Amino acid sequence: MSFDLIIPIIITLVGASTPILIAALGELVAEKSGVLNLGVEGMMLIGAVVAVAVMLTTGNHYLAIICAAGASACSALIFGFLTLSLSANQVATGLALTILGTGFSALFGQPYTGQAVPLLRSPFAPELAQHEVLRIFFGYSPLVYFSLIMVVAVWWFLQRTRWGLILRAVGESDHSAHSIGYSVLGVRYLAVAFGGAMAGIAGSCFPFILTPQWVERLTSGRGWIALALVVFAAWKPFRLLAGAYLFGLIATMELYAKAAGGNFRILPSELWAALPYLATILVLVLISMRRQGSTSAPACLGRPFVPSN
Amino acid sequence: MLFKVEKRPVPSQTMVYLTPVLAVLVTMVLGAIIFSLMGYDGIAAVREIFFTPILNTLKWQDLAVKAAPLILIGVGLAIGYRANVWNIGAEGQYIVGGLAATGVALATHEMTGWYLLPLMALAGIAGGMAYASIPAFLKVRYKVNEILTTLMLTYVAVQLLNYLIFGPWKSPRSFGQPQTVLFNADQTLPYIIPGTIVQAGAPIAVIVALVAWFLMSRSIFGFQVRTVGTAPNAARYAGFSANQTVWLALLIGGGMAGLAGMLEVSGPFGRMVPQFPTNYGFTAIIVAFLGRLNPAGVIIAGLVLAITFVGGEVAQITIGLPFPAVGIFQAMMLFLLLAGDFFVRYRLRRVVTAASVKPASEAAE
Repeated sequence: MSFDLIIPIIITLVGASTPILIAALGELVAEKSGVLNLGVEGMMLIGAVVAVAVMLTTGNHYLAIICAAGASACSALIFGFLTLSLSANQVATGLALTILGTGFSALFGQPYTGQAVPLLRSPFAPELAQHEVLRIFFGYSPLVYFSLIMVVAVWWFLQRTRWGLILRAVGESDHSAHSIGYSVLGVRYLAVAFGGAMAGIAGSCFPFILTPQWVERLTSGRGWIALALVVFAAWKPFRLLAGAYLFGLIATMELYAKAAGGNFRILPSELWAALPYLATILVLVLISMRRQGSTSAPACLGRPFVPSN
Repeated sequence: MLFKVEKRPVPSQTMVYLTPVLAVLVTMVLGAIIFSLMGYDGIAAVREIFFTPILNTLKWQDLAVKAAPLILIGVGLAIGYRANVWNIGAEGQYIVGGLAATGVALATHEMTGWYLLPLMALAGIAGGMAYASIPAFLKVRYKVNEILTTLMLTYVAVQLLNYLIFGPWKSPRSFGQPQTVLFNADQTLPYIIPGTIVQAGAPIAVIVALVAWFLMSRSIFGFQVRTVGTAPNAARYAGFSANQTVWLALLIGGGMAGLAGMLEVSGPFGRMVPQFPTNYGFTAIIVAFLGRLNPAGVIIAGLVLAITFVGGEVAQITIGLPFPAVGIFQAMMLFLLLAGDFFVRYRLRRVVTAASVKPASEAAE
């Protein structure tokens, strides 16, 4: 295969993987602190619609991304208040957040439907960003470089810093962490807000990298795939990177199958479209078979914590 | 005056039943405020969404049509959630149930007879069950989380629907429209109230819900489901199998969603179309919770959610409120219900502080 086929494939693949990777990194941190937030899909939709709205009003991509992160973090804090302060069921509250995000984005997205959103392009000089070969390093949106930096940053934070250690302790043994004087709920609030902000940034990837306009429900289940990826990656940031790119590859194959026709037409296009979801299920089964039932999930995942006096 | 939060010795049964009512009432108040701040007529929005469908008798038939699938799916989900089995892919099971019924309808399209509808209903139930048995098998055999698998399969079901109606099932007489032929008269649900759009789906939903209520509250099966959900260890001790409960919960949820799919495709739709996935499967999650995971409560909750759908359509026409606003009202109900659950387990108590005691003691001197 020649460079002029491989390079566009890699560039599409990286772009398709980026929102899943960013959202999954945020969820990973939240889950490491012991909170299972199933609202990723909803928070991504909130981020996407806020990004589109701010971009079309101000014309500033970075302001739009910051606002998307802020809005989704706020929605995550509603989830946090219910599950942490009121110890509501995390599964049900996460679903409620996704339903809220779907309704919110459909309502606020309506005026922007059909308007073109400028893509957020590579920050490098055109000689590099559009170079035949070098664009494989320099041809990506800043959001892509952000996602790669965050993989390292999240790993470093969790494994190499004192704060990361505290966060993991809260997720593995909330009562012990509480008894040595750490604020379990405080740590969890911060982790949930971080997860929300990352989901918001992930949402902004859709209009800024993938589809340069607002489309209702444009995340089409990518938030749920991000949740599955965290399980697949056994709560490890670098494996998350590998998993996200694997799914990006499948999504890219779908795009090429649709565009190319011809030899790819052995399978109906609907099967290609279903493939990322089927692959997710398959991967979950394979992971579970290999681990023989024992998971590496944080011990307190999904359990409410009520501080005893 | 200060309040202190304190744990109730036993969860309050009054609050269990009061919370959904409060959640709906607070949603109205908060919704009116939020939509007013957003520049809409918030009070009119609440009036049109929550009250017009009840006050305008012409809307009652719409309520029955919309409530039927919500109640059916909601009852199935409620039983599953009681057992802590989180089937959130009822939408997919609804689609596959509708497709299975469509398959029977297309195969028997040249036939007539009373038995066609029951046959389609059986196919719908079997289709939904078969689709839900995938996550059940994966959960029991490989311990794969059912939340993710049921949801992933919903997206797969949508693609299956597209494949069939854009491909092999497309009507040759539809002028290129992706849809099947219209079902024949014996494959279409009868109207039960002459002159209205109410078909047999509505009474079936209520009967199924009542049977489920009886089974859940009065039978050993209901006891098993509730015990596995609330006290897994006690359930094991009593000899209730957790795996068996997972299977039951998903098969019941899938079967009910599949039946709802059959009733929709042979009722309001009359043929299979791309617009068949109507999100009933997701809205039914709210119905199940608002009905307190109790089949009898689900009937009422199904009606409440149907009211918001019908009211949302009214508000769109009368005050120009975009229809997605309904989704926000529905999500608010669920959030407030989950928040209100706090008061089932905790209560506020007035605290007599030193400051408030002092004047009394001074007066006594």
